[in-house]
Amino acid sequence: MEKYPLKRTGLSSPHNSPTYQAVNKKYTNGSRATYTANDDMIDISTSGSGTAGGDRSARLGEDEDGLSHYSVAFGGGVQESADIPGIGQYDDFHTIDWQRDIARDRMRHRYIVKRKQDSIWNLLEGAHDAWSGWLCVLAVGLVTGAVAGVIDIGASWMTDLKFGICPQAFWLNQEQCCWSFNDFDTGNCTQWLTWAQVLGTSKTGAGGYIISYLFYVVWALLFAALSASLVRMFAPYACGSGIPEIKTILSGFIIRGYLGKWTLIIKSVGLILSVSAGLSLGKEGPMVHIACAIGNILSYLFPKYGRNEAKKREILSASAAAGVSVAFGAPIGGVLFSLEEVSYYFPLKTLWRSFFCALIAAFILRSINPFGNEHSVLFYVEYNKPWIFFELIPFIGLGIIGGVIATIFIKANLYWCRYRKFSKLGQYPVTEVLVVTALTAVIAYPNPYTRMNTSQLIYLLFSQCSISNSDNLCDYNRNFTDVKSAIDIAPAGPGVYEAIWQLMLALVVKLVMTIFTFGMKVPCGLFIPSLCLGAITGRIVGIGMEQLAYNYPKMWFFSGECSTSDDCITPGLYAMVGAAAVLGGVTRMTVSLVVIMFELTGGVRYIVPLMAAAMASKWVGDALGRQGIYDAHIALNGYPFLDSKDEFQHTSLAADVMQPKRNETLSVITQDSMTVDDIEALLKDTEHNGYPVVVSRESQYLVGFVLRKEVNLAIANAKRMVDGICGQSLVIFTSGNPPQTLGPPPLKLKKILDMAPITITDQTPMETVVDMFRKLGLRQTLVTHNGRLLGVITKKDVLRHIKQMDNEDPNSVLFN
Amino acid sequence: MKYYLAVLLVLGNLIFSEGQGYEDRRCKCVCPSLSSVTNRTDPLHTAHIRNISNVPPNKCNCQEVILPAIQGELKEKAQEFCPRCECKYEHRNTTIIQVVVIIVIWVISILVIYMAFLIILDPLLNKKIKGNYQEHTNEDDEAMAGPMSHNMSVRGNVLNRVGHQQDKWKRQVKEQRRNIYDRHTMLN
Repeated sequence: MEKYPLKRTGLSSPHNSPTYQAVNKKYTNGSRATYTANDDMIDISTSGSGTAGGDRSARLGEDEDGLSHYSVAFGGGVQESADIPGIGQYDDFHTIDWQRDIARDRMRHRYIVKRKQDSIWNLLEGAHDAWSGWLCVLAVGLVTGAVAGVIDIGASWMTDLKFGICPQAFWLNQEQCCWSFNDFDTGNCTQWLTWAQVLGTSKTGAGGYIISYLFYVVWALLFAALSASLVRMFAPYACGSGIPEIKTILSGFIIRGYLGKWTLIIKSVGLILSVSAGLSLGKEGPMVHIACAIGNILSYLFPKYGRNEAKKREILSASAAAGVSVAFGAPIGGVLFSLEEVSYYFPLKTLWRSFFCALIAAFILRSINPFGNEHSVLFYVEYNKPWIFFELIPFIGLGIIGGVIATIFIKANLYWCRYRKFSKLGQYPVTEVLVVTALTAVIAYPNPYTRMNTSQLIYLLFSQCSISNSDNLCDYNRNFTDVKSAIDIAPAGPGVYEAIWQLMLALVVKLVMTIFTFGMKVPCGLFIPSLCLGAITGRIVGIGMEQLAYNYPKMWFFSGECSTSDDCITPGLYAMVGAAAVLGGVTRMTVSLVVIMFELTGGVRYIVPLMAAAMASKWVGDALGRQGIYDAHIALNGYPFLDSKDEFQHTSLAADVMQPKRNETLSVITQDSMTVDDIEALLKDTEHNGYPVVVSRESQYLVGFVLRKEVNLAIANAKRMVDGICGQSLVIFTSGNPPQTLGPPPLKLKKILDMAPITITDQTPMETVVDMFRKLGLRQTLVTHNGRLLGVITKKDVLRHIKQMDNEDPNSVLFN
Repeated sequence: MKYYLAVLLVLGNLIFSEGQGYEDRRCKCVCPSLSSVTNRTDPLHTAHIRNISNVPPNKCNCQEVILPAIQGELKEKAQEFCPRCECKYEHRNTTIIQVVVIIVIWVISILVIYMAFLIILDPLLNKKIKGNYQEHTNEDDEAMAGPMSHNMSVRGNVLNRVGHQQDKWKRQVKEQRRNIYDRHTMLN
């Protein structure tokens, strides 16, 4: 049954043990490193003396082993001419094989370490290789900080362009324009001209209002149209928030062009435009995408990362941290966000690099000082007010409300996105953007809270009423008789009640508009809108609590703390907790969210309230709807994302999931009995991305695994480079010498063979298999029974199986 | 039309007049109305006091900035008034803002012009030299091969190569557009 049972076992011990020592031995004497695969092949085929080659053939085999690993490790690297270009790269929409890539990197690293002793240059090369990871994240941090600064400044300037212009320095926004003049925030600064004033009408009165209204709508439409058409024209991948895709990419998926130059440029510019259009969206989520694109582009400067997809993901994880770091001015929060939300594979080394990257990015943005407030976010507030124990109950209540709002948002948005995907609406992306912008602008202008920039609104809601705050929201009937107390609790004036009504309207408008906005074909994130929804809710609840404490200061649960009428209830703190609750409910973040929020407020005092709200909101959210918005969008798009948070709870076995099913045959390649024509026919007839290599068709003992792409490349390359290779050439995957034949010379493909594929038996529970796929980052595993090959399980099979088990459509998985 | 002219005029003015009076540091003080300590109700006393001045950071406080101006009104109640005030020293960098905004305007204009070119002129140009491009269509892997593309440079000069790159990029964008706008497989 077996072809050469004894020969194989006899030979395999010296030949087929590609231990690392073999490689080391090879490269200790540098002269042999100049061998080319070609020379080797000729050498072996002429010296071929059958099985009894003894010492000599064993040594040659060893050399070949070394070389093969070296070439795999370099995959189109330094010795490209001697190697097949394209090995080790992946096609669009494929998943990467983490194990293989990491092994490739290890071999490359060993090679560099070995060469270190050869010359000073090699020593320098080794040193450069060792610190290139840090260098790369440093560069990513610098560029991310700078780009974030440009986006912040550009967006704040362009947002105010809707209202008017600063004639003497057109590059300043309204606040900066009136910055050095006494009438800065009363709204009638003489330096700043509204469009009504520019056109010569008075600022107040019906005429001025209508002109301002018109200009607001027209500018908004112009910005949105520009944004949508730039995205459509130059980089369609720049639309959306990008976080679901980044999550998928970091879990080991290839989307070519998603992190490219054009995506970066268009996403940055489009983000400025779409934020300025006054749409209900934020720039924080896309900032993560922008940072990852920067990381991807810069990683090409360092071959260690640019040429190895698994290693590149370490840089991308650090970049994601930098993205959040600049978005919220929260470096630690960024690192935790990368760890909790987006990253899939996060070793400690990456943690430190993310830390460093986030630090550099935050530092750069802070020194650009985009908002002139010495912080890197507009809505930075500083809090130092105590909270009383009883307040935990309203905080948890806010958490519950936040969870409910988040669930409504997720369900409605998902429904709308699905409708867009499957209906005619999806054919009019630019029109959709324009209609939504027009509606948003027309509805938003009359209400001062929706008219202003969302970040500014959040800032207003977060901050506590002080003397410098002249908004309606702070219209309390305060009397300043007591000198000692700074701001005391006071009855609300009519302005506050008016503000509450306006805020409630703003809440409804923002919620509805965000549902329709998120998912449109412009760059749009949802951190800011969801923070805003929460802040509005929280502020309203906070004002309610404050008035309760003012009117009944002696109630038992205030435990006398409010009788001194100082430092009792701060509505701004409620706004913050509410914001955390809604954002936590929408994204299902917990740790990173709390850290981001307390980095925003500069006080650790509020960790417990924030934690309580985030937890309550997550529970409510999980109870009402299973997935966070990002996971829901991943499922909607059918990205092949194997979530490491979910547990696999079914009792199926590997044999149930494995391909081929019963009555089908497994396509295999035999190690030394197929011709080039056979293999080409096999590749033509089947669409698998990889083929197991077995000893022979009758006895399916496993030898290894080859990828379709690499077989294709290798055959094409051999036909071009090696004389005599034709359709009748045998394809040989062994390192031994072929039996003497009269035909054309054989094609040796051992170097593209993966000799260490992960195998399981057919009785392995799927729980274990899924765990292996998640934790080892496998692309496929081979199933054996009694030591013989039975079938293959790919990541796609696992994902389809999970979908099937969850009663979803298994065909929705986007995969090649 | 009149509106456009006005806007253009304003823009013209902007470019030629340097921003004067836009300093990079300020001391900003905000105080409540004088009536909070004097209990008088005439207009002077009910308005909030806001003051921006350009003093050194160590002098940015109520005693140095606000009191000299209102000493006459307050008289002996000055010490009661000052704790109510908030004074903050801030600085910014208008040059960075100016540079960034101008860069943003440039980038957007260039992109818009290029977009207009691609929409209007390119189809006309492409009609003429369509034949030239067809021979290059199946070289998708060329960029990945890296050094390999040097070999291709024999074919033509820099202009040709740029055109070739642009063509390849256009194909990629077309593919992306198909994924997103037509087949709706991604980014919904």
